[in-house]
Amino acid sequence: MNKNPQQTTLLMHLSLLCALLLTLLPWPSQLTIWQPHWLALLIAYWSLYTDDSRVMYVAFAYGLLLDVLMGSLLGKHGMSLVALSFLVTKSAKQLRMTSFWQLLIMVLVWLFNDIVIRAAIDWISFRYQPELLDLLPLLTAAVIWPWLKYLMDRCQTSLRTS
Amino acid sequence: MDNLKSNQRLTQSPLFKFLMLEFICIVLMISDKNNQLAQPIRNTLSLAAVPLLKLVEWPQDLYQVAQLAISRQAQLIQENNELKEQLLDARLKAQQNISLVAENDRLRDMLKATQTSPLTTSVAFVSNINQTQKSQHVVIDQGSADGLFEGQAVLNLDGVIGQVDVLGQHYAHVILITDRSHAIPIEILRTGMRTLAYGNGSEVLLSEIPTSADIRSGDVLVTSGFGNRFPRGLQLAAINAISVSADRTFINATATPYAQLDRLTEVFLIWPNEDEALVDE
Repeated sequence: MNKNPQQTTLLMHLSLLCALLLTLLPWPSQLTIWQPHWLALLIAYWSLYTDDSRVMYVAFAYGLLLDVLMGSLLGKHGMSLVALSFLVTKSAKQLRMTSFWQLLIMVLVWLFNDIVIRAAIDWISFRYQPELLDLLPLLTAAVIWPWLKYLMDRCQTSLRTS
Repeated sequence: MDNLKSNQRLTQSPLFKFLMLEFICIVLMISDKNNQLAQPIRNTLSLAAVPLLKLVEWPQDLYQVAQLAISRQAQLIQENNELKEQLLDARLKAQQNISLVAENDRLRDMLKATQTSPLTTSVAFVSNINQTQKSQHVVIDQGSADGLFEGQAVLNLDGVIGQVDVLGQHYAHVILITDRSHAIPIEILRTGMRTLAYGNGSEVLLSEIPTSADIRSGDVLVTSGFGNRFPRGLQLAAINAISVSADRTFINATATPYAQLDRLTEVFLIWPNEDEALVDE
């Protein structure tokens, strides 16, 4: 599908690093609860648009890195991101054909699943009581996903034509 | 040959990879939770994380430098004067303190009580880094390479702020006293009553105080030194509200921490006294 897979891989890593930085950037406290899970969004995108399931290893590595940065239980984000990546890769071929709205809803379902997994791990490790507020990032993710997809598509096409 | 191929197909299949990676994650989580086996992995990964932290901090540092360069001299002079006044004030208090310390020592001598020796401390700076975690953490710029250890007490000038929770090689996560999963042994300064203070998200909560206990709004909470994590007598919070539990068996009190936990810049780390450690052994 792609002429220069090396450059695509480079783009993937660059975008994932950007996602990590976006997660780390300090936001005003009112906005923090709205912050989407950037890394999960990008992992979903790359699982959807690369053909091999190697993205799962990438998801695992970046998940662990995020765990270390956030000081959470080692493997928490790793687990949720690998699960997300697996769900996407399994049906990537069909999903690439679906309409915009269907895809958006699917993305929200994956992110919801991601939130549920993390809440479950938190509950097991320190009896965290989930709140409805935890679902707010889904709304922002729904707004951001189309733009993110458009941006990454443009980047990929420009790589392919150059 | 056929067998080998099917083996290959198995290891190539997404399901196999998924199960393998999830298994690794579960093993990591269990080892991290229970007995710190995962610390070497965390240390190695933290080396990769440091450049990212630096990259986030760099524009903020730049902004501060620029602000300093642009700020006018008059402002600086004013600030300097204010700081001098503060220093005078602090010196005056320190002088009063000296006589109090001497008096206290004499009294302790008479009582043959153990001496409290000064604490070993070090200063660390708080990184302005977003924490989307459910728990309340701040990141400080010192780690296991600087001799920090897990459970170490962290203060700032106003009072106790928390303890070291997760260690990296060159940075550490400090869990704040207001975190829901944090508890700290405290003592009410006025009455000497000892209890535990739990975090409740924005304040600290004292639950399960007997209704007969003498407790008022405005009471000062200090660390009681139980559990050997926090040294005794560090100020923590002031009680702001008291309520009786629904079944009228206990009093619940909430207290506001002295330290402003949402705008921390520098913190102090405390090492336990070696003399005390010897006594414990």
